[in-house]
Amino acid sequence: MRFNLTAGGAGDSAGPTFLPSARRLAGADLTGRDRAVRWVLLGAGLVPTLMLLFLTAEMVREAIPAFVYSGWGLFTGHVFTFGNLYVTKLTVHNGVSAPHGAAYGALPFIFGTLVSSLIALIVAVPVAVGAVLALTERVPARLQPGVSVFLELLAGMPSVVYGFWGILVFGPILAQHLFPVLTHLGGVLPFFKGSVGYGEGLLTASLVLAIMIIPIIAATTRELVRTVPILAKEGALALGMTQYETAKVVTLPYVRRGILAAAILGWARALGETMAVLMISGDLLNGFPANIYSPFSTIAATIVAMLDSALTDATGMAIHALAAIGVILLVITLVTNLLGRLIIRRVSHGVVLPVGRGV
Amino acid sequence: MLSSGRHLGVADVVGSNLDWTVQLDEVRVGFGPKQILKGISANLPKGKVTAIIGPTGCGKTTLLRSINRLHDRRPGFNLKGRILLDGESIYAGSTDVRELRRRVGMLFQRPNPFPQSIRENISLGARIHGLWSRADVSTKTEYLLREVGLWDAVHDRLSSTPFSLSGGQQQLLCMARVLAVEPNVLLLDEPTSSLDPHSTTRIEELIAGLKEKMTVIFVTHNLQQAARCADEILFLEQGEVVEQAPVKQFFDDPADPRSRAYISGWAV
Ligand SMILES: Nc1ncnc2c1ncn2[C@@H]1O[C@H](COP(=O)(O)OP(=O)(O)O)[C@@H](O)[C@H]1O
Ligand SMILES: [Mg+2]
Repeated sequence: MRFNLTAGGAGDSAGPTFLPSARRLAGADLTGRDRAVRWVLLGAGLVPTLMLLFLTAEMVREAIPAFVYSGWGLFTGHVFTFGNLYVTKLTVHNGVSAPHGAAYGALPFIFGTLVSSLIALIVAVPVAVGAVLALTERVPARLQPGVSVFLELLAGMPSVVYGFWGILVFGPILAQHLFPVLTHLGGVLPFFKGSVGYGEGLLTASLVLAIMIIPIIAATTRELVRTVPILAKEGALALGMTQYETAKVVTLPYVRRGILAAAILGWARALGETMAVLMISGDLLNGFPANIYSPFSTIAATIVAMLDSALTDATGMAIHALAAIGVILLVITLVTNLLGRLIIRRVSHGVVLPVGRGV
Repeated sequence: MLSSGRHLGVADVVGSNLDWTVQLDEVRVGFGPKQILKGISANLPKGKVTAIIGPTGCGKTTLLRSINRLHDRRPGFNLKGRILLDGESIYAGSTDVRELRRRVGMLFQRPNPFPQSIRENISLGARIHGLWSRADVSTKTEYLLREVGLWDAVHDRLSSTPFSLSGGQQQLLCMARVLAVEPNVLLLDEPTSSLDPHSTTRIEELIAGLKEKMTVIFVTHNLQQAARCADEILFLEQGEVVEQAPVKQFFDDPADPRSRAYISGWAV
């Protein structure tokens, strides 16, 4: 039996025998041990794909009863409750029974997940890119490795620590000093109006998320900025442009597409972030935040917060419901990723990107 | 003109003689402990083309880049002596580096257009320096593109990327970009070393035409090109001036035996 890792099979009969590597890849002169190694590599290559398929299938299977029970209500409903778990009375819907009064409307979580991650992204991208440009221009070359270690440390910090800091230090400071100033924006943007609360809520969580993804975006951006050829920047400097103008005219266009990719990476992280958001969100169920400072919740945070009580539901519907919002999160993440890739492709369409051309 | 006895004292330079655009007064450049230029003195005549020649690594690029302060941010860069532009020291504290770089344009060894549209490649510098208004852009861009001989090739794609142009076309675009900011001095560092013969000819024609308006200093490793294009030759070896002479004299009857050896070595 033969199998081909490449499309080199044709090479044996009619194809290009002048390419010895193609022949070797086609398996013409492999020993038994080589073949075994190839099987192992092939298997290892398939593992991630299989895992993704398996995980998705399991999640969907687990979620189906909740989808049947709630129908579109899962996406449009504002109320998410497991119902009364202490009486035996059941509510039956679409042929599926759940504890009395159970409703699985996930719209507030979907909203919270999308909005908080978007605010985080809007704040994080300019800060990260600006910081990287300032650092690479200003920090002496011999200190640069220190900067990257620092970024990696920040990126690797446990999210519980961010959560703690957010709830104990950052949130109260924001509520005292920043939010009252922001309320002046209320005239133009109504959701900035109203009570600023104590620093537990949408904006605090979004800003903490921003801080968490800044190192991710910055680290990628930094690597990109370092690939911009010096010669290209010197063209601008030699013309009398300032470093700022050089960054705008040369550096940023060179790295724009990469920054978009970095932002999508950061967005994915913000979408799925659980612990820090759970600690800072104020954990609002069954409704939308009154303004940008108010408590809210996200899908990921809700799953963690409600898992314990879900396990006590004898009908199993509570777990099905959490699985269902998990599937929604999975889909949101996949869609944003695909959308991001599409944008990247759109932006680069027809443009010969200079990066790596060694101009 | 002899190589010896040409070192200028400060007194010669101050109260400057405006027949010279660029004056090099005992210029020493080092990177850290490494000394590259070891006391270069020369006067580069106004409105003429001076070719800087010499073996690889003798410091031609280093010298050229010193004239518009492109080394400034290199770690370890140090410069002693003085470089005067129209009689004023360009490394003095009062120098406006941006304005200096506008007055001293530079074309590099390889083309380096901006990752912007062809139109913006030409207009951005002039706009930033306040030389062109928004309304000027289309007419002046066209004028410059015609001047460098690119108009026919690019007039229908001014909004697209320059990276799809050939290397020679990209270099001509960079030339137009430099001319847009109206420099008095043009520095060219082996501008044709990576170009096709046609673009090389075009650049050489431009050099010949430009010296009416500006002082051209260009580095080349091609002696035939130096003989074709230059009025004046500045021959360096190991960071020192061997000889400066008018082009005919340099090639027909060089004063220094090292020049003679270099020329004959090249002819073989
Ligand atoms: N930034 C730098 N740091 C240290 N040495 C340098 C630097 N730039 C150039 N050099 C050295 O200076 C010498 C002259 O270089 P260069 O001016 O490029 O020569 P040329 O252009 O005549 O070939 C070379 O030995 C080169 O290695
Ligand atoms: Mg050189």
